[in-house]
Amino acid sequence: MTEPETWVDAYGDRLFRYALSRVRDEGAAEDLLQETFLAAFKSRERFKGESSELTWMTGILRNKLFELYRRQAKETPLGSAVEDANPGSEFFDARHWKPALAPRDWGGEPARKAESAEFAAALRRCLEALSSGPARAFVLREMEGVAPEDAAETLGVSPGHLAVLLYRARMRLRRCLEKNHFAPESVA
Amino acid sequence: MSFLPSCRDVSKHLSAALDSGRPLGMHVRLHLTLCEACRRVLAQFALIRHGAARAGEAGPSLSDAAKGRLRRFLQ
Repeated sequence: MTEPETWVDAYGDRLFRYALSRVRDEGAAEDLLQETFLAAFKSRERFKGESSELTWMTGILRNKLFELYRRQAKETPLGSAVEDANPGSEFFDARHWKPALAPRDWGGEPARKAESAEFAAALRRCLEALSSGPARAFVLREMEGVAPEDAAETLGVSPGHLAVLLYRARMRLRRCLEKNHFAPESVA
Repeated sequence: MSFLPSCRDVSKHLSAALDSGRPLGMHVRLHLTLCEACRRVLAQFALIRHGAARAGEAGPSLSDAAKGRLRRFLQ
């Protein structure tokens, strides 16, 4: 195992970007990084070298992130699905898309565009604009690949409410990306 | 298309299908054949999922001040 003094230079930026993309606040990301380094320092004797140090520390960071979400869910519960019963209503009339908000064509090769650094930056900005519930649900399911029941437990919500949060996140991300990245000139 | 689910319902079904991995129901698939806007949503949700899996690879670096704080913390 490398010397702890070298960890900031070796892994700091990559772990920070990982954390920032999930907590959307530089101070909180830095705190997570500090907790991660502390936990790695305390348990460095247990590192067996079966994975890279970066992979091992990323695993620690993930656990710290989940702990943070659990703490936040206890401090500020995300409410219930009943309180969040009308997701997506801003996009629809009775049955159909509101004309001004109907999904636009994202251009010739959206899959190729989605590989670009510009798309990554746009997605990051759109994630930053989400409210906390949908953002955390999206991070757990789509970025961390946590199983639905575990994600719901981490956020302190029912599986049904998790589905509502994810729907809200996807709809708002879709709209934000369209407005700011894929088709800004055609969006009202 | 009144016998079919609404665009709003379809968008919810599309999100739920992403989570469950279950195939879309017949009425949703039929709606998609008739509704270009909802077909776009299906493709766009998938793109967002693809992009999210790569999130965290790019972005700002730690500031020098933050690096300094962390170095001191580890010494």
